[in-house]
Amino acid sequence: MNKWFKSGTPWIWMTGGAVSLSLIMVIGLFLLIGWRGLSFFWPATVYEFDMLDRQGNHMNVIGEIYDSETVLKQQLIEAGITGLEDKGDTLERYLIKVGNREYVDLDFQWILETIIVEKHIPDNIVVLERTKNGNFYGYIKAFQENGVDIKIPASALEAEFSTRLAITKALKDKETDLLKGDIGRINYDLDRIRLKQRKLDLDGQLTEEKIASFKAQSETLQNEYLVLEKQLFEYRTQALRDAVVITDMTGRDVVMPIAKILDFYLPNKMTFLEKVQHWFHQTAKFVSDDPREANTEGGVFPAIFGTVFMVMLMAVIVTPFGVIAAIYLHEYAPKNNITKFIRIAVINLAGVPSIVYGVFGLGFFVYIVGGSIDQLLYPEALPSPTFGSPGVLWSALTLAILTLPVVIVSTEEGLSRIPSSLREGSLALGATKSETLWRIIVPMASPAIMTGLILAVARAAGEVAPLMLVGVVKMAPTLPVDGNFPYLHLERKFMHLGFHIYDVGFQSPNVEAARPLVYATSFLLVTVIIGLNLAAIGIRNNLREKYRSLEH
Amino acid sequence: MITLPKSSTEADVLTHLSVEKTALEVKNLDLYYGDKQALFDVSMKIPKGKVTAFIGPSGCGKSTLLRCINRMNDLVDICRVDGKIELQGTNIYDKSVDVAALRRRVGMVFQRPNPFPKSIYENVVYGLRLQGIKDRRTLDEAAEKSLRSAALWKEVKDRLHDNAFGLSGGQQQRLVIARAIAIGPEVLLLDEPTSALDPISTLTIEELITELKEQFTVVIVTHNMQQAARVSDQTAFMYMGKLIEYSDTNTLFTAPKEKQTEDYITGRYG
Repeated sequence: MNKWFKSGTPWIWMTGGAVSLSLIMVIGLFLLIGWRGLSFFWPATVYEFDMLDRQGNHMNVIGEIYDSETVLKQQLIEAGITGLEDKGDTLERYLIKVGNREYVDLDFQWILETIIVEKHIPDNIVVLERTKNGNFYGYIKAFQENGVDIKIPASALEAEFSTRLAITKALKDKETDLLKGDIGRINYDLDRIRLKQRKLDLDGQLTEEKIASFKAQSETLQNEYLVLEKQLFEYRTQALRDAVVITDMTGRDVVMPIAKILDFYLPNKMTFLEKVQHWFHQTAKFVSDDPREANTEGGVFPAIFGTVFMVMLMAVIVTPFGVIAAIYLHEYAPKNNITKFIRIAVINLAGVPSIVYGVFGLGFFVYIVGGSIDQLLYPEALPSPTFGSPGVLWSALTLAILTLPVVIVSTEEGLSRIPSSLREGSLALGATKSETLWRIIVPMASPAIMTGLILAVARAAGEVAPLMLVGVVKMAPTLPVDGNFPYLHLERKFMHLGFHIYDVGFQSPNVEAARPLVYATSFLLVTVIIGLNLAAIGIRNNLREKYRSLEH
Repeated sequence: MITLPKSSTEADVLTHLSVEKTALEVKNLDLYYGDKQALFDVSMKIPKGKVTAFIGPSGCGKSTLLRCINRMNDLVDICRVDGKIELQGTNIYDKSVDVAALRRRVGMVFQRPNPFPKSIYENVVYGLRLQGIKDRRTLDEAAEKSLRSAALWKEVKDRLHDNAFGLSGGQQQRLVIARAIAIGPEVLLLDEPTSALDPISTLTIEELITELKEQFTVVIVTHNMQQAARVSDQTAFMYMGKLIEYSDTNTLFTAPKEKQTEDYITGRYG
């Protein structure tokens, strides 16, 4: 035994065990959020329950079984529930997602198994995804056109629904295109004309002639707008023509305009293949759609876009600064105590809490730098700030400072790993120090620079706290990139997956509805970070292959 | 300490070398690493178009002296030099001398092959690109010419754009020589160029050195006395930072004037 200890084997087992445990935990976490997040898009079976309430009346409930838990009978009795005497010690309790939010008190209800008289799975239950108020469960009964019933044979109801939904959707797409495209452009142009006029006014160069010209331009745009507006209202009226009549769980007929319906499906009728197809469809919608209903429904596309855009902007900013600083520290700075002190200070910067960077970013970048930019370049827009309010540029800059130490440290390490023989070889050929640096040393250190960047990206993509102060918002109306000149709008606020998780999970009015979205968004954030890292690792391995001389 | 034997006729030839025949003249060179003196009052004339070898035990200062000739010692912060080295009459330690320009005139090849992580072609034309030459044809011609001079052309002409690390050690060392001669230096310094190579590659390089002296003044540092005897025209023996004896190679190996030289070449130390 003593010998076994001396051989060092226990240490190997201990270290190996620690590594495996960590790996298992990481993979376990990833699988958990992946499973919880992704299973949300699977079409769940919808049940119809026949229940007895406390007064002994029959009650009909339609919904998905969302969650279940086992409770002690004793606990229930103490809570004042009677009629449990002949039941076992523990009882099952279900959380039912009832939907139909505007017609019921609670769209998520806990029901005890004892009050369920019967549970069945009717084939023709339909689930409606709506723009507002969440899902609706019920049976299709009929259709209306301009408020007039249309007789459709029961067998053709689904097909009819599909066609009418497609027509309405096409109209709505046209409406959105018009709003975001031409109308958006006109509004943007009008605002620019207003700002131009104001700028000239401030500069004292506003002549009657110019006023007239601006007026003419605005009027042209206004006229254009009026035409488009008419078109828009046309589309809206057309889209409101159709409605569907749905019988809900209480037997009431609800008339619902098809324009308010995004999608419908009959989960109990679906084959496995159709369910898989539906799952892919739902997942794709989650990744590519805008959020709805205070972020508790719809997709997260703006958040994905914002995260990736901000991280890439940060990488573009941090790389040159970090690399140049590292080159100075390693190649040019005299080797004395001041340099040593600076190096220690840089390394310690990595340990500053990120919220401190956020406060610094808000005070320095947003108020001082942004405020000055507004005064100098955008006086016409004042008092409403352009760069003087939180935005994606300031977020990227704040995170660039946050990740700068990582890039500096790993670049310096890379620089010191380059054999001095190559440096001498270059100098001996008549190269100056800077030529040697740019032609030999920096390219050879590029894998190390990429390593620094990978670490920086990994840290920046997961950082939320400082962003809440310098640019992230719950709901950004526009992306930082669009079709209006100058296409990149770095002053705009943006959405971020990390903040989205916080917002949906902890700030949303409907916790139950939001929970799966938290998992799905977390999974997506991890995936995005892994994707960004894999891309950077790919580039680094490529560079390593190119400069693999370091290995000998 | 008397560094040069006054009575020797061969030594007289080296001492009284005419200006036209002198490539380099070292005058009373002292070198310090911090407080430690590494070279003591070294004076010598290195003739043009010949191969001069520096021999001596490890740490005797032969590499240090070689690295003084193209001011590679400037890279060492604590290094300080007194005295002069004259290249064609100008002191290379003069303040007005551009070190990069000096190094273009005095090329250097190191102990271990140190090709850059670039293609064979890019390695050879590196020095020319530094001088701002962009013309494809000029570069191609210079590359071919230097590779031919370095006896490497036949082996690499079909894979000029492959990575230089694909070459063997001996080929890499010849590539480095080609790279050094591509910029047309006057003097070529070789710092133990074969110590990391196998015997066959060593032989190729030695043959190459003999050919190179047609065009360049070659100064070679070597541990290997046979090599010095084989390739050099004159040899300098150094010991403890001092130049002990410097004369015609034949004389130095067959009839050394100094006891220390004799001890070294007969293998009594070092």
